This record gives sequence, structure tokens and C-alpha cells, in this order.
Amino acid sequence: MELKYYIIRRLLILIPTALGLLLMTFILLRAIPVSDLIANYVNQRASPAQRAIEKQQAIALLGIGQPLPEQFYIYIVDILHGNLGNMYSNFYSGPVIVGIEDYLPFTLELTIFTVIVSVLIAIPLGTFIGSRPNTVADSTGRVFSLIFFAMPIFWLALVLQLVFGKNIGPLGAYGLPISGQGYPSTQQVGFIVNGVSQPTHMLFIDSVLHGDFPLALVALEHLILPVLTLSMSILAGLLRFIRAGMVDTANQEYIKTARAKGVPEKMVLKKHIRKNALLPSVTVIGLLVAGLLGGVVVVEDIFKLEGLGRLSLAAVVGTVGNNIQFYGVAGTILFFGLILMLTNLIVDVVYAFLDPRIRY
Amino acid sequence: MIIEETKSEKTQEIKPYVEVKDLVTQFFTARGIVKALDRVSFSVYPGEIYGLVGESGCGKSVTSTSVMDLIPDPPGRVVSGEIFIDNFNILSDIKTLARIKIKSETDVRIKRNKRALKRHNNVLSHIRGDKISMIFQEPFLALNPTMSIGEQIMEVIMLHNISSISESMIRRENISSGDVNEFITKYYSLNDDTLKRKTVNNFTASYAIHEFEESIISLLTTSDDRQYIETEILNMIRENKSGINIENIKTIKGYYDLQREIFQMTLKLLQAERTGETSAVNRYTTEIRKLKRIESGNFFNLKMKLRFAYKHYMAEYRKEARRRTMELLTLVNIAGPEVVIDSYPHELSGGMQQRAMIAMALASNPNMLIADEPTTALDVTTQAQILEIIKDLNKLIGMAVLFITHDLAVIAETCNRVGVMYAGNIVEEASTVETFNDPKHPYTVGLMSSVPRADKKREKELKLETIPGTVPNLITPPSGCRFHPRCKFAMDICSLKKPKLVEISKNHKVACFLYSDESEVE
Amino acid sequence: MQTTISIFKKGAVQRKRHPKVEDMIETLKLIIKNKVAMTGLVITMTYMILALLDVIYPAYLGYGPNIITSLPQLLPPGTPLGEQLPTPPTFANGWHYWFGTTVGAYPLFPAILASLRIDLGYSLVIVLTGAIVGIFVGTFSGYFGGFWDELMMRITDVFYSIPFLVMAIAFTTILSYSLLQDHVPVNGFNLVALALIIIWWPTYARLTRSITLSLKSSRFIEAAVASGSSRIRNVVTHIIPGVLSPVFVQISLDLGSIVLVFATLEFLGLGAIIQINSYTPELGNLITIGQAYLVTGDWWPIFIPGVFLLIFTVGINIFGDGMRDVLDPKMRR
Repeated sequence: MELKYYIIRRLLILIPTALGLLLMTFILLRAIPVSDLIANYVNQRASPAQRAIEKQQAIALLGIGQPLPEQFYIYIVDILHGNLGNMYSNFYSGPVIVGIEDYLPFTLELTIFTVIVSVLIAIPLGTFIGSRPNTVADSTGRVFSLIFFAMPIFWLALVLQLVFGKNIGPLGAYGLPISGQGYPSTQQVGFIVNGVSQPTHMLFIDSVLHGDFPLALVALEHLILPVLTLSMSILAGLLRFIRAGMVDTANQEYIKTARAKGVPEKMVLKKHIRKNALLPSVTVIGLLVAGLLGGVVVVEDIFKLEGLGRLSLAAVVGTVGNNIQFYGVAGTILFFGLILMLTNLIVDVVYAFLDPRIRY
Repeated sequence: MIIEETKSEKTQEIKPYVEVKDLVTQFFTARGIVKALDRVSFSVYPGEIYGLVGESGCGKSVTSTSVMDLIPDPPGRVVSGEIFIDNFNILSDIKTLARIKIKSETDVRIKRNKRALKRHNNVLSHIRGDKISMIFQEPFLALNPTMSIGEQIMEVIMLHNISSISESMIRRENISSGDVNEFITKYYSLNDDTLKRKTVNNFTASYAIHEFEESIISLLTTSDDRQYIETEILNMIRENKSGINIENIKTIKGYYDLQREIFQMTLKLLQAERTGETSAVNRYTTEIRKLKRIESGNFFNLKMKLRFAYKHYMAEYRKEARRRTMELLTLVNIAGPEVVIDSYPHELSGGMQQRAMIAMALASNPNMLIADEPTTALDVTTQAQILEIIKDLNKLIGMAVLFITHDLAVIAETCNRVGVMYAGNIVEEASTVETFNDPKHPYTVGLMSSVPRADKKREKELKLETIPGTVPNLITPPSGCRFHPRCKFAMDICSLKKPKLVEISKNHKVACFLYSDESEVE
Repeated sequence: MQTTISIFKKGAVQRKRHPKVEDMIETLKLIIKNKVAMTGLVITMTYMILALLDVIYPAYLGYGPNIITSLPQLLPPGTPLGEQLPTPPTFANGWHYWFGTTVGAYPLFPAILASLRIDLGYSLVIVLTGAIVGIFVGTFSGYFGGFWDELMMRITDVFYSIPFLVMAIAFTTILSYSLLQDHVPVNGFNLVALALIIIWWPTYARLTRSITLSLKSSRFIEAAVASGSSRIRNVVTHIIPGVLSPVFVQISLDLGSIVLVFATLEFLGLGAIIQINSYTPELGNLITIGQAYLVTGDWWPIFIPGVFLLIFTVGINIFGDGMRDVLDPKMRR
């Protein structure tokens, strides 16, 4: 089947981009004086002997004394072996890769929830307003999407906290939690511990899979406001795009053909307009996720949730005296890039699967 | 140029299949109101090819789209007029559809009546595709890019032909030796081979047993024993009765027949509303309500099934529809229909796409085809083939064709009668021969003398020579006769009054003050 | 059907103008007719004027940046002016604290005005510089093609493969660290601007490149090539003017996003990294300051700066949308 070859080709295109991404983090790291990089790797509170060992590790990791291409090669090999260096901050101290392992699942959970929620709302709503352009419903939808598209995420998060927050807003004690306190960290939950199955590392999904519904409820409670915040902007973007697609498709010649065939108006909308209008919006999801991942940093910071965004911020501003953790910065960038690249890959494959014109 | 004399005299007695009267279509744009059609009237008779010709931008395509009431709204609307399709005026409720308030050229408020529009579209969806279908200029744009060719053609069959398919399936289940005997007798009474073949085809089609066509033919040619053939055919059919649930088919047929009945009732209701008979209106309204109650009462289960398991539930029909699709594709000379049926529009060449379009238009056996510049986007050889197909269909099935083109050579080759359009008016209407040999209207005269008879390259130069100027801006059309600014023979009256399309000799109508003093009543 | 409008007779008032001028006048007319775009323009211009006012005559507004009063009170919006202020603000004389005060009894309105100056000023600089760099890279690489074009595409691919905000944080951090380490005296905001320019130009390079490719095959470029015009000359005289209008639309849409990113960076506390006073009036920073009052339910220090930010981004977005409608040849009838 052609789709298989398309996927293979798409994977091959991924390689130069991934290399470019690595090169970029490499350059970012090399913009820092080497002595600082070494000092960054070493845990300053450890014993002198330990520190000496770590210093040697850092020199080996950086490939000091080698020519630059050789250093880049060493860098890639290290990353493939999972060695991203160490970071020390109030939020997390230790090897960067372990930190990412711990915090990535939550970010994924947040992202997936947001995408699902916004897609589920955007498709029916977008087709609804797109099928009746220039009506009251349409103008309302447009104004709504315009405002939320232009809204600063951090501000929206704070306003939502003001309105729905526990012990803050009008809801009082019945409000939703505004900080990650009370959100069980992955280590605290029984079934995450070694020996027991831990399928996804995502708290909500895991607890549902284990039948622990009170815990799932707690997880859900903590997710509602962050997901709401994040989905607003992505929802607004999708809504705009779907509406434009619906209006555009409705003016296509083949819709006229469908009507000329005697297809009833309802079926024209369902069978001919909607599918053709929704197809291109699949591609937009990739773009919107890029914005969403930026929003994740903000939302995790505001709601004090333990995810990759929090980790990346901790590497920058999370230490006493703003002692920037370069390995943390580079490592989190790399993984954010990885998530985005995978999203784009999935989006492209799904699009190729849905649209017969792509598979040539 | 070969121009055949046609049976234009005969057409006079027959009622026209499509009759357009005083059609006015306008587009309300930001720059002003485009008066695209200004009281266009013409008729197309069963079995003829009527050509509409004119420069680009003269309203040919708007006419054809208006006949199907497919003008995109906004910006356009059919403002007034009557279009009779098979004796039913599809614009009978036009007054109730929308109220147009014109404050100024650029500021027009249109208030649409949603309920009336819904009913209007519902009625039209039974007419479009069923009684009249259409092919477009750019087949690539006119085919849905994400549906396979087969799906798109099957859609038409599944919309309009469910009843006939059900009937043939029921007939197959209840087939008796008498039916087969009748067929065999008919077969042997014929001498012509093609006719024999056609009989077999009809037989298999009416009993939905197409898969046996080849074996039946071989039976008929190899054996002479009629009794033997009869039992063989009966056995063949009975053995293959398969698991079709005849009750299901009967329910589905009942449902679609009911739909049809509601539609017929709605037509009657619309007619009654137009004439203003309140008692009839009331009667039909209650009748429709009763039918709808039956629909929701008896067919609730079926409707749910159709909604959620359409493909599964209609599988038998889809199989039959697919077979018909294959037949249609063969009919329009598509090579390798079994491949084309599952391919997507972008995988086909322009000519193939147009053929598929024609197949789609034929799928529901309409009585008329509107061909809106079907050959303009194609290269010359394909053009000829497509024209040949259209002509053949016209001859074989007796399908009326409204043919729209700017190409006079195409008109001469295909059409029986020609209407010449200029700036939203029909200025002359006559048989093809008369139009070419004896044009009356100055515009037609100019058009005819611009036809390159020997040297095709000089077409443009000649055109410029013979008709100065261009098609006027239809936001501010010239007063009176819209052709007068470009007319050599313009008189004073031309800019004041609009000439009426009058019959000056038999079957030859002209709208020009050179031939008649009659003007349109404002 | 009757029409009441008077219609110009053809040929009555026809002066001959250059077709390009004619086209521009036509476009301007369409923009003025487009109510949505005009609303956006009015909002944007109001903000610009307010920001300019703060630059030209800050005393008129009462406060310059970086002034902190020592009053500990947080006043809700609409409080009448009292004598508790050390120096009565000239602009606010006889006024109320319509928007309340924020930390240090600092009235929000002048604080927001001062913020606008920083936010708008830097955003404009970032977007314009990014656009100029992007236009040159995009048009030349698109027109000349070959190795450099491929390299450019791969570079933009990499930039596109990282979430923008994450990249902005990283670039700002590392840039500021390496520059401040070398004791290069740079203003913190300039640093942010520099980092954002570095990651912003690929948008424009992509955009202009795709337009260049379609323009390259168009007739008038072929005609120019045939008449012996040099390649660089072609790019400068034909391609660049051709890409300007879509770039303009993109700029107007991006200005909103950049203001948001700029504010978000401040909000996330990057001010500390780039060594900016934590009381510097900047919309994101103002909201961060307001966040401290969240627990007590005092809503205005958060809400009001955000509303100002929101109105600006909405305004600039609808202006961009309207411009796109007008400049898009498909939309013209």
C-alpha cells in the first residue's frame, strides 16, 4: 500500500530535522563558557571526592580537548545513551533524563486531554457555525474565537482561578483546586511503585485502569482548570479554521454538483461539505500543539503542576541566585521538540490516511 | 460545417419539457447589483438539443444554474420568473422565499424565510438529478475530491432509484416460468442481434440478475430447446436466491414510496398555494401531515437503521447500484471501468473526469441534461469524443439537452435549435440552420461573420472588427436594448425601449427594432 | 426594481493615474469600508498614541517608570483620590483611581501606560526587524534556490520543531548569560528583543519564500529575465514589492502574538535573569505582581492589566484579519 511508503518517507524527513534540533541544543550549550558547564554538572553539596569524579564525567561528556565535530558526535552518542547531564534546582535535582522521565507523562496527559477536549468541542461547534455564515450564531462564534485566540494564557489561568478557585472565587470551598498541592505525585501512588503494573504513568488514566476511582476524581479535579485554560486558545484556533473551511468548501463547485444531483441539503452538509472542510483542520492541529506546549509551561507554573514545563522553568529561574541549569534547559528543549515532531508526524500520517490526494 | 435540418416543425405540437419564462437573476455585490439575467424566456422540447451561445459573461451559465435553481446565495438570487420542469413550476413559491429590500445599489437587505427555503430545497432535491441533471465546465472542480468516482455515481442511484431497484429485486424473488417464457418468446421473435442483446439486458436488469447475463446468452445461442432453457434459467435464479430478506426490501420500498407520495403531495400543495385555493391548501396540508405521521409511526425502526447502519442495511442495494455504475461507466466509453470505479477524481484525466460526470448525470435516467460548457476545459480530440457521447445519448435515450457554449462550431455540430444570448437577454432564437444561414439580429450577424471559416488564427482580429466594444458592465447595463452601444444600426428608440423577442418567421424569433416595433412592457 | 443611487457616467470623471497608484487607492478605499479592520486600526492607534504620549511627556501622566511610592495600601478601582499620595499626579488631578492601585499604592492606569510603551515599542522593533531579515533571507533563497535555499529550509524546520515559548525562554536565558558573563552592558529588554528576533525571522522567511516561488514563475518575472535584468535587481525591484502586502498582514497579526510572548516571558519571571527591576511596569510583570494578591481575592491587579493586553491583541488581530480580507485578491470582487 502507498500509505506505508508515505510513512517511511515521512520518517526519513524527520532525520535531518532531529539532527538540526540536536545541533541547535549543542550550539546553545557551547555558547556557555566550558568552566561554567562543568561547574553546572557537579553537585556543589557533595563530598570533594564525589565532586572530583563528577568533574571528570563532565569533561568526558563535553569531549573537552576534541575538535568541535568530534564533540558534537560525543554529544549525540551521550544523548542516545540517555545522558543529558545533571541539574540542581529547588524543584528537582539529579540527572536531567530522570527528571524528564518523571515529569514527561504529566505533560503528555495534559496535552492529550487538552487536544481531545478542544477537538471534541471544536468539530461540532465549528461545523454548526460554519454551516450558517453571517448569522447571529456565526458572529457570536467568531467574536468568541477571536477573543480567546488573542487572550494571554497566563492571564486566563489567573482569571479562571479567581472565578473558580477553591477558597478564592464565589464558589468558596466548593471551587476547584488552584495549585498542584494534593495532586499525588507519581511516587506517592501505590500502583506506580515497582512491581505493580504502571501502563502509562499518567495518573488519571492509570487510576482508571486500576479501578481507583476516588483517585481518578482527584486527578480530574486538578486537571479541569488547566485543561480549560489550555483548550481555550487551541479551541479558538480550530474553530476559526473549521469555520473558514466550511464556508470555503460550501462555495466549491463540487458542492454545486452535489446539489445538482439532488442530494438533500442535510446530506450535502454531512457528506460533502463537512468531510472536505474538516480534512485540512487536521494539519492545523500540529501548529496549534506547538502553541499549546508553550502554554503548558505557563499553566504548569501557575497551577503548580509537576510537568516538563515546570522542569524547564526550574532550570531557568528555579534556583537560588538564578544559577541557570544549562543541561536542564537543553534537555527540556530537546524533549519539547521531540513531542512536537511526533505530533506533526502523527498529524501528517492521519492526514495522508484520510485524504486520498496526499498518497501519490 | 455540416448542418442537419431538424424536426423543428414537429416540436411545436409537443409540450416543452422545460419552459423558462421571464427569468430574472441578480447578484447583489458590494459594487452594486449585477443584473445578470433580464427576462430570459425559452423552452426545451423533449428529445432536442437546444444550444445557448454568446460571448463570455453574457449570462449563459447563470441561465443554466438558474434553471436548476443553484445560484449561490449570497450573493445571487433568482428574483422573479417561472421555470416549468415537466409541467411543474419550481419557482411557484419564489415570492415567499425571500424579501429583498433595495435601499441603494450597494446596500441590499435580503430577508430569507427559512421554513419556506427548507421546503423549497426539499422539493427541488427530488427534481434535481431525477428529472434534470447537469454537467459542468471544469470536471476536476465539479467532482468531490475525497470521494471515489463510484461512490459519487452510486450516490445518485441510491437517492433516486431505490424504488425501481426494490421492484426488480422483488420480481426476482417471485419469478415464475411464465415470465421467463415471455422473455424467451420475445427473444426468438427478434432477428436483429443488437436488439436481441438488448432484450437480454432488459430482462436481466428488470430482475436484477445481471451476473447471469453471459450464461443466459450462451444458453440461448447454444441450445434450441426452449423448455430446457426456461428451466435452466429458472434454476439459475432460484439457486441464487441468497439470503435477501424480502420483507426488508418491501419495508424499504414502502418507505421510499411514502417519501415519493409526500413529495407529490407537496407539489400539489405548492400549486394550490399559488392559485390561492384555501380549501385545497388545507386538504393537502392535512394529507401531508397524515403521511408524515405514518412515516414516523411505521418506519421509525427503519429510519434508525438507515441512520446508523446505512451501509450494512443497504448492502444489497449498494451492490446493485455498483453494478449499474459499472454499466454507466461502460456506456460513456470509459476504459477499464472496474479500475476507474474505485479511483479518485485526481487520478483521472480531464476527459475521463468529464465522462464520469456524464455517467453521474445519467445515473438516475433523467429526461434532460444541462451541459454547461462541457468541452471548454478539454483538448480538441477529447472534446469531439464527449460531444459524440452527448449526441449519442440524445439519439438513443431521447434525452433533451440544454447545451451551453461559446463555441459556434460546437453549436453547429450538435444543436437543433439555438438561442443567442447577449448581456443577459436572448436576442435571437431559431433553428441551427437558420441561425447560421440567415441571422437577423445585428449581434448574431456579427457573431456569425466572426466565425473563422478558413483561418482559425484570425478569429480574434475578425471579432474585434465585426463587433466593436465589449460586453457591458451588468451593474450599469445600457438602457433600452443592451446591445445598442455596439450596434451599427442603432436608432433612437434602441436606447429608450427594450425590444421584445418576437416571432418574425416560423420558429425564428428576434428581439430587435429593425424587425418589429414591439417592446417589453416595463 | 428601482435604484436611487446616482451612477457615474462612464468616461465622465476619468483621470489617468498610474495603475499602481490606482490600485493602492482602491485598496485604501476597501480598508476604510471594512468596518472590522477600521475598528482594529482605531484600537491599535489608540494604544500607540497612549504609548507615545508616555514617551514624549511622561510627567503629564504623573509618573515615569520605576517610581515606587511607599504607601502599603491596595485600593480598589474607583476610589477617589486622597491626600495620601506624595505628589498628586497631574494627569489624574481631580480623577479617581479608576483602575485601582497595585503594589505600593501605585495607580494602575499610569503603570499600564508606562507598560504599553515598553511592550509596544519592543514588539514593534522585534516584528519589524524579524520581518526585514526574513524578507531578505526568504526572497533571495527562494529566488536563487540551490544549496542555500535547502539549508535555509532545514534551519527554519528546526526552528519550527520547537514550541515557540520554550525556545524563547531558552534563547533569552542563554543569550543573557553569555553576554552578561562577558560584562557586555546590555539593557535586559534589548536582550529579550534580540532573542525573539533570532527565533522570529523564520516565520517571515518561510512566508516570503513560498510567495517568491510562485512569483518567480509568473509572467512578469520571465519578461524581466528575458529583457536581461540581473537576478539581484529582479529580486529587489519585482519580488520584494510583491511579498510586502502579505508580510504586512503577517506583521499585524504577529504584533499581537509578540506582545503576548513578551509579557509571558516577564510573567514567568525572566526579568530576574535579564536583570530587570521586578517593579518595572510591563504588562506581564504587572500581572505577576498582581498574582500575589490572588489569595485575598483582590482581582483588579490581575484583571485590569490583562484586559488592556487583551483589548490590544484583539484589536491588532481584527485589524490583521481585515487587512487579509482586503489584500487577498481572492476576496476582491
